[in-house]
Amino acid sequence: MFSRLARRQLPAVRQLQQARLKRSKAGLNPDAQRVVTQLSVMSAGRKMPKMLKLCNEDYVKHKTIMKAWSVRRKEQIREEEEVLKKQYEGMKEASEDLKRVNERLFELSNRHEYGKRFPLELRVPTEYPARQVWYYDYVRKREE
Amino acid sequence: MLHLRGLATAASSNGSIPINLIRTSLILSRIPIVTPEVSEFDAKFYNYQEELEKRLMWTFPKWFYFKKGTVAEKEFTKIQKYPIPAHRGVWFPKGVPELKHGRDRRFKQEVTLANKVSEGDSQDLENVSRPITPNSRITEADKTNDETSLERKLPRTLYLLVKQDGKWKFPTFQVKDDQVALNEVAESGLRELGGDKINTWSVSGTPAAVIKYSNGEIVDEGHEGVVREYLMKSHIVAGQFVPEGLEYKWLAKEEVEGVVDPKYYEKVGYLLSN
Repeated sequence: MFSRLARRQLPAVRQLQQARLKRSKAGLNPDAQRVVTQLSVMSAGRKMPKMLKLCNEDYVKHKTIMKAWSVRRKEQIREEEEVLKKQYEGMKEASEDLKRVNERLFELSNRHEYGKRFPLELRVPTEYPARQVWYYDYVRKREE
Repeated sequence: MLHLRGLATAASSNGSIPINLIRTSLILSRIPIVTPEVSEFDAKFYNYQEELEKRLMWTFPKWFYFKKGTVAEKEFTKIQKYPIPAHRGVWFPKGVPELKHGRDRRFKQEVTLANKVSEGDSQDLENVSRPITPNSRITEADKTNDETSLERKLPRTLYLLVKQDGKWKFPTFQVKDDQVALNEVAESGLRELGGDKINTWSVSGTPAAVIKYSNGEIVDEGHEGVVREYLMKSHIVAGQFVPEGLEYKWLAKEEVEGVVDPKYYEKVGYLLSN
């Protein structure tokens, strides 16, 4: 009776020990392992840095830096808006003046330019210039 | 010189003001070729933000980029500088390290990459694996301060100024009749002055601003016999401006201020970009 009992209990004990010792990842097939790796990249587990705790002095410094930046940005944006407003007023004044001075030229200036596109040749600014800074040998396209 | 047309040759206009009193000016700009200079304050702030971001960044998942047991993984592991782990009974003056995945969680992680030295001359264009050396942002034209060059002041927008009637100003042209749009008059006038080996892109047919002259002086209000100058905007795309017997300069905004008449600058200054 004891032996029967032991036989019934033994596998359970062994299974419990195996479950604690054996690493669950070890037996994964390559596809499942790949998924585990990819998920581990996206999950925060064990990869998060320690929470940033600033002492009072550092906190005041941080606040000062951010405030200085926001003040400067605000000033820049205000200046830009002012310039844009001036430019708009300038355009408006010029157009109204042109309308009064010469109706025909005003109409010509306001005609819709069909097919007008931003030129592709204008380059986007880069960190460093190209080997050839400017293209000088431009030859005008022959008009047919 | 171009806009000095006799009164008798003026074409008739349908407006109340004769066409010979209308001129058009071209603000021709060369857009920046390199990114703007970063001010000292900006650079410091960007550095602060970058360091904060690095400190708060997750640990680099080495196991994702390097498969275990490969040569690449071993080389990468070898060149990393790993922090010293915590030991019992050892005093750490800067606090006990907390290592996870080979990174001290209290600080930013420094990932060093293998610095493969390229061989050969950086100017040898045939050699594909030549070392990369960026070109200088300061060009020859900057060093010699050649104001007629298009290659000066690469991070700035340059504007074309010419000396007309003894005064520095944007190239100005007389409108001859009202069958041609103002920007077309200005563009063709520019080519008459400086040759047609130039590619420009006219921004719009509508004027950006107007300047009124009375007896050669800039005035705010229009009276009888007032000469009007309409300013049109355009960008140079390729080619160059090579006039004969005419002084010209490519200048940034603050240089324009130093060269032109203060009253003229007051009227055009806001049209120029910093």
